[in-house]
Amino acid sequence: MKQLTFIILIVCALLMLKAAADLPDWADPASPASTHLSPDFLEQGYVETATPNIVTVVLADYRSYDTMFEAVVVFAAALIVMVILRHTPRKRGKTILYRPKREGRDTILQGAAQLIIPVMQIFALYVVGHGHYSPGGGFQGGVIFGASFILIALCFNLRFAIQRFREQGVLVCVAGGVLLYAAIGAICQVMGYNFLGYTGLASILGASDVMARSYGILAVEVGVGITVMSVMVSLYYDLASSGDLDEGL
Amino acid sequence: MMDQAPILIIIIPLFAALFLTLVGPLGPRFAYGLLITGLVGSLGCSLLSLGLVLDGNQAVQYRLGDWPPPLGIELVIDHLSGVVLVLIAGCALLTAIYSLRTAEQDNPDRLNHYYALFSLLVTGLLGMAASGDVFNIYVLLEISALSSYGLLARGQGPAYFATFKYLIVGTIGACFYLLGVGYLYIMTGSLNIADMAAILSQPELQESVSVRIGFTLIILGVWIKMALFPLHAWMPNAYSKAGTTTACLIAPLMTKVSVYIMLRMMFTLFSADYVFSAIVWSPYVIYLASAAAVIGMIAALAQRDLRKMLTFIIVAEIGYMTGGAWIATASGFIGATYHILADGLMTLCLFMAVGAIIYRTGETSMAAMRNIFQKMPVTAVIFVIGAASIIGVPPTCGFFSKWYLIQGAAEAEAWVFVAALLIASLVAAIIFFRLLEIAFFGDLDTTGASGDHGHSHQPVATLRAEAPLSMLIPMVITAASVIILGLYTKEVVNYFISWSVPLGI
Repeated sequence: MKQLTFIILIVCALLMLKAAADLPDWADPASPASTHLSPDFLEQGYVETATPNIVTVVLADYRSYDTMFEAVVVFAAALIVMVILRHTPRKRGKTILYRPKREGRDTILQGAAQLIIPVMQIFALYVVGHGHYSPGGGFQGGVIFGASFILIALCFNLRFAIQRFREQGVLVCVAGGVLLYAAIGAICQVMGYNFLGYTGLASILGASDVMARSYGILAVEVGVGITVMSVMVSLYYDLASSGDLDEGL
Repeated sequence: MMDQAPILIIIIPLFAALFLTLVGPLGPRFAYGLLITGLVGSLGCSLLSLGLVLDGNQAVQYRLGDWPPPLGIELVIDHLSGVVLVLIAGCALLTAIYSLRTAEQDNPDRLNHYYALFSLLVTGLLGMAASGDVFNIYVLLEISALSSYGLLARGQGPAYFATFKYLIVGTIGACFYLLGVGYLYIMTGSLNIADMAAILSQPELQESVSVRIGFTLIILGVWIKMALFPLHAWMPNAYSKAGTTTACLIAPLMTKVSVYIMLRMMFTLFSADYVFSAIVWSPYVIYLASAAAVIGMIAALAQRDLRKMLTFIIVAEIGYMTGGAWIATASGFIGATYHILADGLMTLCLFMAVGAIIYRTGETSMAAMRNIFQKMPVTAVIFVIGAASIIGVPPTCGFFSKWYLIQGAAEAEAWVFVAALLIASLVAAIIFFRLLEIAFFGDLDTTGASGDHGHSHQPVATLRAEAPLSMLIPMVITAASVIILGLYTKEVVNYFISWSVPLGI
């Protein structure tokens, strides 16, 4: 069986190498990927959305519908981990995995964490907000923000973190971020545009069509950020305590 | 408002899933009501969209974010996808109604999260069927796959292990699809299906090796997802260990939507011309499909667990549809497409009936069928209707799809496939007549404690214990639609399917 797997792998690899011989060179300016749609994005992107970072524009405006479902994928992951781990009926006598208990006070760790965490969270907000101009956006900012909560749980303990950000709150944020994203799409519909047609926000915000797109991008990035942040926290809570939400790593 | 119907099909179940996550404190009945409301809305919008398609007799396009197609993403609903959308939304709604008792039984806690995953799965399937963008299909494929992992893992006992296998294999399938899309993107620079199709029809791309490999990878990925015969090993365990509601939802729909994606990729993204002349391995697919049909049915014959038997029947049915699509005749294509609808309904019918039998008897093996006509007469009749359709008995839709498939195979002189279809039907007849024999005369194989029930002509335990009404109503509707679809075959083919027969075959 192992040999068979090996043979299949080799055949697949050879096929793909053969295909690669035919592909355009790396960074070839004449390749279809850089001549077909990219010029439109590069030339029209800033004019139509007032957002210099074209990656953000493609992600959150031209292909915004995909990004919404990417956020839904993240949301689904948290939901599934919760459904599987939190549901498991607790048997007495079940082997409890090793859980280091943090008693007493780790002055250095906790002191450092108290200094770092506010900075981390402000930086996370900056990354979300600055996605218009530089690499960044909801996914990255959300991960940084989520990491700050995990740092709290690591430096203090899981209970301490849960007291500050309860499971119900995490759940509201997990669904709320995607809900914000989809609701913005739906508001555009109510205003008479298509789903996620941010120009529909123009009359609500009192901005021009172009600026409305820019604000729309920001709003959906915030939605993505909220979901990603709380999904990180939710996954950590469930995995660290194998679903019990009591003691944990 | 009418022109917003295409997107509402997908967005309504998404909103339902998001709200369902949060309504835990309101109790299981509220969650049930919310799920049903969402699915009714989605079904209504699919019917509206199908109406729009029929009004203009052309595809309805919906631009997301108001961007023109190659730049933005568009939904394309034509005759084929319109019908598939109605099938998905309809089956999901019937399963949701059916789930009133079984879902609570399988999920004593956190029913609302279970329903949220249910709704997400439906969102993913509907989105795949409506999408006109290859990458968007991938994203929604991920959503439907992820939520199905979550749902399947909620089954009993070894469900975790079976689901883990499915997770690995399913992820490989999705990766193949994504790799293929990557190759095609490099060669065309576009992701919109219509735009790509136009670019791919250029002669130099028709010759390109990369495009061929891209096509091969996409088809391989889809085959893994739809469990075509040598790639089906993940399916039987994953589906047969699942909870009743999960099995009723996933078994009829997941594989059918993958078949639909295969047809889209073959005939909309590429063309019949390309698939059957440029792709060297296309003539051999018929043998694979024939093997799937025969081996799937024979494996089903060997099973004693009712649901496992049904999953192997699905493996065989996938063989029918793949063969129909690859024999390169119009009748074959019509047969394959019609069979997506027919198989969706009859699989749902059988899974629901078996679910009700398991719910009442508590047994999952064939022994559960004993005296079923006395105990649960309506369920038994519904089971027989589903079985007749699988075998291919005339008034049911299964007969007509097989008719088209055999006709198409005969036109293409693919006698292997004709033989496989006939053998598979015969084996299916054996499978179900054996079950009927158990139902009327008891299981002759079992001895011991249950033996004296089986051998006596006056069975002891014949208390009426029909399935609850919440299960019976959707079952009766499904069984009725199996027959109605069969009676109106000509109309369905003329109004919907014949529009999507690709050029060149």
